[in-house]
Amino acid sequence: MKKELPSKVKNIGWALLFVGIVIYVIGYTVNPREAAFNNVIGFLFITSIAVGSIFLIALEYIAGAVWSVPMRRVNEFLGGLVLVAPLVALPMFFHLHDIFHWTDLGAVGTDELLKGKQPYLNLNFFIIRFVVVFALWNLFYWLFVRNSLKQDLSKDQKLTTQNIRLAAVFLPVFAITLTVTAVDWAMSLEPHWFSTILGVYYFSGTVLAAVATATYIIVKFHENGYLQNLKRDHFYSLGALLFAFINFWAYIAFSQFLLIWYANLPEETIWFMKRWEGGMQFVSVLLIIVHFAVPYFLLLPQEAKMNLKRLKFMSIWILFAHLLDLYWLVMPTYANGVTIGWMEIGFPVLIVGLIIVMLGYKMKRHNLVPVGDPKLERGLKFRL
Amino acid sequence: MSTTVIDYTKELPVVEGRPTASQIEVVVTAPLDQFPPRKWWYAFAVTLSMLSIGGFCIGMSLYKGLGLWGVNQPVGWGFDIVNFVFWVGIGHAGTLISAILFLLRQRWRTGIARFAEAMTIFAVMCAGLFPLMHTGRQWLPMYLTPYPNQHGLWVNFTSPLLWDVFAVSTYFTVSLVFWYLGLIPDLATLRDRTTSKIKKTIYSIFSLGWRHSNRHWQHYERAYLILAGFATPLVLSVHTIVSFDFAVSVIPGWHTTIFPPYFVAGAVFSGFAMVQNVLIFVRQYFNLKHIITLDHLEKMNKVMVLTGSMVGYAYAMEFFIAWYSGSQFETFVFLNRALGPYSWAYWTMVSCNVIFPQLFWIKKIRRSIPAMFLIGITVNIGMWFERFVIVVTSLSRDFLPSSWGHYTPTLYDAGLFLGSFGLFFTLILIFVRVLPVVSISEVKAVVEGAQPSHH
Repeated sequence: MKKELPSKVKNIGWALLFVGIVIYVIGYTVNPREAAFNNVIGFLFITSIAVGSIFLIALEYIAGAVWSVPMRRVNEFLGGLVLVAPLVALPMFFHLHDIFHWTDLGAVGTDELLKGKQPYLNLNFFIIRFVVVFALWNLFYWLFVRNSLKQDLSKDQKLTTQNIRLAAVFLPVFAITLTVTAVDWAMSLEPHWFSTILGVYYFSGTVLAAVATATYIIVKFHENGYLQNLKRDHFYSLGALLFAFINFWAYIAFSQFLLIWYANLPEETIWFMKRWEGGMQFVSVLLIIVHFAVPYFLLLPQEAKMNLKRLKFMSIWILFAHLLDLYWLVMPTYANGVTIGWMEIGFPVLIVGLIIVMLGYKMKRHNLVPVGDPKLERGLKFRL
Repeated sequence: MSTTVIDYTKELPVVEGRPTASQIEVVVTAPLDQFPPRKWWYAFAVTLSMLSIGGFCIGMSLYKGLGLWGVNQPVGWGFDIVNFVFWVGIGHAGTLISAILFLLRQRWRTGIARFAEAMTIFAVMCAGLFPLMHTGRQWLPMYLTPYPNQHGLWVNFTSPLLWDVFAVSTYFTVSLVFWYLGLIPDLATLRDRTTSKIKKTIYSIFSLGWRHSNRHWQHYERAYLILAGFATPLVLSVHTIVSFDFAVSVIPGWHTTIFPPYFVAGAVFSGFAMVQNVLIFVRQYFNLKHIITLDHLEKMNKVMVLTGSMVGYAYAMEFFIAWYSGSQFETFVFLNRALGPYSWAYWTMVSCNVIFPQLFWIKKIRRSIPAMFLIGITVNIGMWFERFVIVVTSLSRDFLPSSWGHYTPTLYDAGLFLGSFGLFFTLILIFVRVLPVVSISEVKAVVEGAQPSHH
């Protein structure tokens, strides 16, 4: 069941990765501040896909799902990105002063609020959190995949039980670590601002990005004869998952907006005000259309969820929407108004390249289907 | 750790023991065909007494006014709002099970859906009682509906309290229609089975001429799917809007953005606890242990540990952000909850909602009837206290210490609360005697071997 990526695709991956790195390097030399902010977006984007994929693996085990078993390997491959995500983040650590206002100790000294937050928002603790979070994700990823790969040969059912238990431990860890990531890399950009829902908000985008990436790859594989046994029932389920999380994201985004708008407290509304001036209002409206309205109507019909063309289109669309969402979260701190240039377009290229290269690397070594999984047969027979 | 090896290659049967279609009919309709036994009458007497106490308290409140209640300045929302939120929460499991689990194609829902839906309807009825009493002018509820009138009086469209009126009444209507739609094939079955003429007439009217024909089923399935699609956002919207009642205000401890998903998770949590508690008795007394199996109860317990943990996450996040925000009022409110005069309520809430349900991680406890029953009860106690903590602690001590107060419920508050339980269980006791507690037609379809096999 081992299949290699065609060398053409692999070459594209390497090319994109190369172009991305070039942009990365030039960006950091030309305008390090803008580059660093774009780096935050890129880092959150790759983290979404990486840790979202691990979440989907855990979800399958703990929910006892069978439909997703034949496609689980794609998630397992994508989860491997947690190992490289810290590398993507690395340059930012040399520019933290450009990104985070709270690292400026002079400013913190005269600001009562920031002084109060210092026990949490200080450099040492920030770095410790980053290291711990990624160590945990890598550990769980490694354990999940080790058991899953071992099962390919041994077909041992106990490994499934082990992974179910692992998933039970992982889910609370995931909830906390993802929230920490959202607070550290998104909320603390505006260190005065706060919102209890932001962790859930980032979570909704995370799952969407992971499902969308997996969906695109799975459909592409299927079309090129890699995962031939998948039926429309499987694709329908993927489409339904996308549709559900589109709604979930909109629900969370709307809740956050409505409550802040209605209560109208200046310390909270300032965050939305920044997203409503200097052209950012167009991005804000665009976000509603791109991240909710369009995918909602294009994925609503039953047939749409089984239409491979539509699914492919929507996965790319949703990945773009997630990027836009991250842009909307991060960039207003960089400058008032809309910033768009080659760097904004360039960084995602690096991530896409990275995903393809990662996929090529993993596919060479591992089976494309978890052939030893006891639920595989039920998964293949799955019908709506 | 248990050493039993689970075979993942096989699907667990939804119904145990492969009963035949007629066996299912017989066991489900048995309670409808016989005169209620003595135990039922005892239970009925108890719940009816509770209901009359509630009725008495309502009467007194109408006659003498709301001064009989414990509400005061500054705690203007007391038991009435706490009970309202509590009952609406209970009413979340039913339509979640029947609509969302239907869309998620969870076949185990069939055994428990009917009962849970009935409980939803009864719980929403109990919930509706309290805001109506709370208005203090119970004879003017028509002004809650926006209609052009000669006084030029309009409702306040920007108030979430009004959105509540719309959300809850829509939810009630759709839940009722959904429940009734699912009942139609069963009513037809009852019509065909019964020998009493009166019953036959009643069932005939309400089964709307159902003949179990292929075409009927086709329309039915379509309608059911569409209604499930409609009901799904409704389930989430009701408690979302209930949470808006608090969260749009600027009261510390109320205004926090995580409230909507947190309230929905809490509602599902308490709803499942109540359904689990009542189903334990139902499966026991009506010999339905093979239809409402231990696996079903275990799955409900899993949902409870999930939603309970979500609620725990929200508590933690609220606490963290209260500190992180640097707002002294927010910080104070949360410290006051944990250490102030109502700390006993706060810690009851935390232990009942977050700590005890964690025991459900252990399989043995998840599958032990007495253990799950006890945890289910603590969950409902905890969820009631959660609303109490939110409503009372925030109002009793807000911005100005000179205008702080204390809330002590009166006997009338307690009586009304007791009365709502009386209403709820009275309705349940009547329901189990007049309608099938399990969907006969749906259960028939999930018995092993009943599904068409694909090749």
